[in-house]
Amino acid sequence: MNSVLLSITISILFGIGTFLILRRDIIKVIIGLSILSHAVNLLIASTGIFDGDKVPIITGSHESAVASGTIFTDDVVNGVMSPVVSVMTGTHYVDPLVQALVLTAIVISLAITAFILILAYRIHEEYKTTDLNEMKRLRG
Amino acid sequence: MDSFTAIVIAIFLPFVFAGFLSPLERIFKDKIGWFAAAVALVSFLLIAYVAPDIIHGEIIEHTVSWVPSAGISFSIYADGLAIMIGFIASGIGVIIMSYSNGYMSHEEELTRYYQYLLLFMGSMIGMVFSANTIQLFVFWELTSITSFMLIGYWRHKPQSVYGATKSLLITAAGGLFMLAGFLLLRTITGSFDLTAIFHDPYMIETIKGHDLFLPILILLLIGAAAKSAQGPFYIWLPNAMEAPTPVSAFLHSATMVKAGIYLIARIHPIFSGTDAWFILVSGIGISTMLLAGFLALRQTDIKAILAYSTISQLAYMMTMYGYTTYHDPGIGVAAATFHLLNHATFKACLFLVAGIVVHEAATRDIRKLGGLWREMPITFVIASIAALAMAGIPPLNGFLSKEMFYETSIEMGSLLGSPFNILIPALAVLGGVFTFAYSIKLIDGIFLGKRCDEHLPEHIHDPSAIMLIPAAFLAGLVILFGLVPSIPIHYIVEPTTSGILLETVHLHVQLWHGFTPALMMTIVTFIAGILVYSRYDNIANWQNRFNSGYPWISVNYYYDHLVDNAKEHAHRFALFTQPGGIKTYVNAMLILMIVLMIIPLFTVTTTLIPSNLNFEIPLYEGLTMLIMIVAALTAALYHKYLLAVIALSGVGYMVSLIFIYLKAPDLALTQILVETLSTIIFLLVIVKIPQTFRERIPKTVLARDLCIATAVSLTILVLLLNATQGIVPPFESISHYFIEKTLPLAGGHNIVNVIIVDFRGYDTLGEISVLCLAALGVYNLIQSREERE
Repeated sequence: MNSVLLSITISILFGIGTFLILRRDIIKVIIGLSILSHAVNLLIASTGIFDGDKVPIITGSHESAVASGTIFTDDVVNGVMSPVVSVMTGTHYVDPLVQALVLTAIVISLAITAFILILAYRIHEEYKTTDLNEMKRLRG
Repeated sequence: MDSFTAIVIAIFLPFVFAGFLSPLERIFKDKIGWFAAAVALVSFLLIAYVAPDIIHGEIIEHTVSWVPSAGISFSIYADGLAIMIGFIASGIGVIIMSYSNGYMSHEEELTRYYQYLLLFMGSMIGMVFSANTIQLFVFWELTSITSFMLIGYWRHKPQSVYGATKSLLITAAGGLFMLAGFLLLRTITGSFDLTAIFHDPYMIETIKGHDLFLPILILLLIGAAAKSAQGPFYIWLPNAMEAPTPVSAFLHSATMVKAGIYLIARIHPIFSGTDAWFILVSGIGISTMLLAGFLALRQTDIKAILAYSTISQLAYMMTMYGYTTYHDPGIGVAAATFHLLNHATFKACLFLVAGIVVHEAATRDIRKLGGLWREMPITFVIASIAALAMAGIPPLNGFLSKEMFYETSIEMGSLLGSPFNILIPALAVLGGVFTFAYSIKLIDGIFLGKRCDEHLPEHIHDPSAIMLIPAAFLAGLVILFGLVPSIPIHYIVEPTTSGILLETVHLHVQLWHGFTPALMMTIVTFIAGILVYSRYDNIANWQNRFNSGYPWISVNYYYDHLVDNAKEHAHRFALFTQPGGIKTYVNAMLILMIVLMIIPLFTVTTTLIPSNLNFEIPLYEGLTMLIMIVAALTAALYHKYLLAVIALSGVGYMVSLIFIYLKAPDLALTQILVETLSTIIFLLVIVKIPQTFRERIPKTVLARDLCIATAVSLTILVLLLNATQGIVPPFESISHYFIEKTLPLAGGHNIVNVIIVDFRGYDTLGEISVLCLAALGVYNLIQSREERE
């Protein structure tokens, strides 16, 4: 269970990011997008501390790699993933799945930021402005 | 070579050679058309190779797996019906491609022309042999697309473009209705395969009793009617006459428009024997037959007359396939099939004659033509044979199938009882009367009467043998089928009828069959037809007056309105949904996000803020968060780009520190790397963009934006508090599976890494694709600048 203060921090980041993407200066909008993506990544990662608080890296042998809670046992032959209730005690890891998701998200947000920055650069070259309203007026 | 291989080659050979036509043109030059005709001939011979088995009552079935997970396969089902249409498609294909060598000028883009023709022929053959409904749909739409290409072959003519667009919109949309019908059919049968239904009488009973029976039937009939220009969908066919005349002869009389009729015949065993089938199929058929026959009288373009007559003749077949009762599901099947075959011969022949006339006299207007029989005697004879066959004059093949049409109409009418025993035969005769009238008009208007010297070239003569022989060959078939009907009946119609009715059928058709009621009806038809012909101009004038008086009583009127206004409607819709300002989109998204979060919060949780809050935090973490907020505020408030970007990178590095607190070492490492990279990109761009614009935020805007930002912020806070503190998840996380299986299944110790590269490897592939696309986008944006310079 993580701290309320972290939740408050994340929500403040969301607020700042939202405020920024509503601006007219395209660079400010991009900065806002960056802050928003940081906030989203933190939000997802912060929900991962649930069962335990250990780093999700297995250090021991096979036997210690037993999770807590309900285990999904899949029946590969019949092609079904069936939940089988078998509560086990053992190592308490932080949820690794959300971390994997965020890892992907971080890289993609880099790609988006790079692309949109170059787009802004090209727009500035063509229209000599970074004002979104001005661009809308120049369109067409 | 087994039969399956032969059919597959027959289907795909035209496709393959359509691809090779461009390089081959260098070898064959102007003779490329003969090569294409040779390809068609090979397909024809391959089908002929299979035919003897089919005629003896065998059915060839073979399936190759295509998309097994979706139940889609490449299945061949060769019965009499498939063989007959396959023969027509490839046989008329040979004739048309030979004829085109004389018709098409050598200055035209011949390769493109023959490519489309070959592609069309392959699609058509592929369609008729399809047993899988999805496969049938694919080939069906391919014929629509190739037809579109061929109608619009002369790209510079606006009428061609209009006609091509119209045909594509109507036939392709009809195909989508048909696909919907097949998908619904699958919900009943559980299979896309038609053979599975044909082999299982119990399944057919189930379909007939099912609630979805009527919706499926209607959807499939819309597809068939759109393709065969029946009912209100007829409007595309007259405009399709903008295609080169050989194309009209091939696609829009003999083959493609028969696809709808083919579909009717193909689903006949499944749906016939019900009231709905009779009412819908025969209903569309009879009304179209009368309407199109009547409208044909008004036309002045000889190809338009032929187009309306094609619509009306196809409607004969619809009507006959529709004749059905519970005890006798296939009353008109044999007659319809025979008429289908006969129509292909005489109508293709008439189109070829029309092509000859256009080629020699340089006009298609029947008012400007006349008296050509002296100058074009051979063409005159050929045209007369075909037109008289269409009119139903003995001893030509049209007479026989017309007689069968009357016979089955009487039979169907008497089975239904009064008043249908009079009504149906009477309507059938009326349809025949119109047919008679316009058939005579074709001969009279073009070849007889007075020569209009002011409109016609000085010297007109019969064309070269290249154009005459194909037409003469078809005219020969018209006579042969009329004089010796046992040949087509035994070798083509009987197997086809057996294929449709799923039982062996024996037919007896003779040229002279005594004074039957049908013969009386024929005589009545001739007398009434002559009467109508004597009033021909009056009827046409009346129609013209009516049309100019009430322009809105026409399907074309609504089609044009719909299509012309579509652009405007789309524009208005786009203005409404895409006003252009980024703020509108952002606001819409944010409001949606808030709504989507608030609803579950109020439905799932009992309290908005959980009671057991955890305020403990290590000092260094608290400091990290504080720095992060300060940095974010700096980035937001500072006007200078450089400072803002540096502050932003500060936020990013602080995020990586918080990842450490969240027990995510991989994330922290990645975040540091990515943050460094993105700061560099930011700086590179900032350097190039001088800061000229400074936004002054009006108070109202500031207040509004602050409200939005606060609302978003509070929503996220409530969500997060509930997500991390309060709610017990309604289902177990699937993460436990990954935790347990990482070591035994993947042999990795770092669970996150194993998920990324192993368990969720496809996600990572997607991520890499995004990176590549972004890189390509960046490259192109930069490249476009250099080209400009």
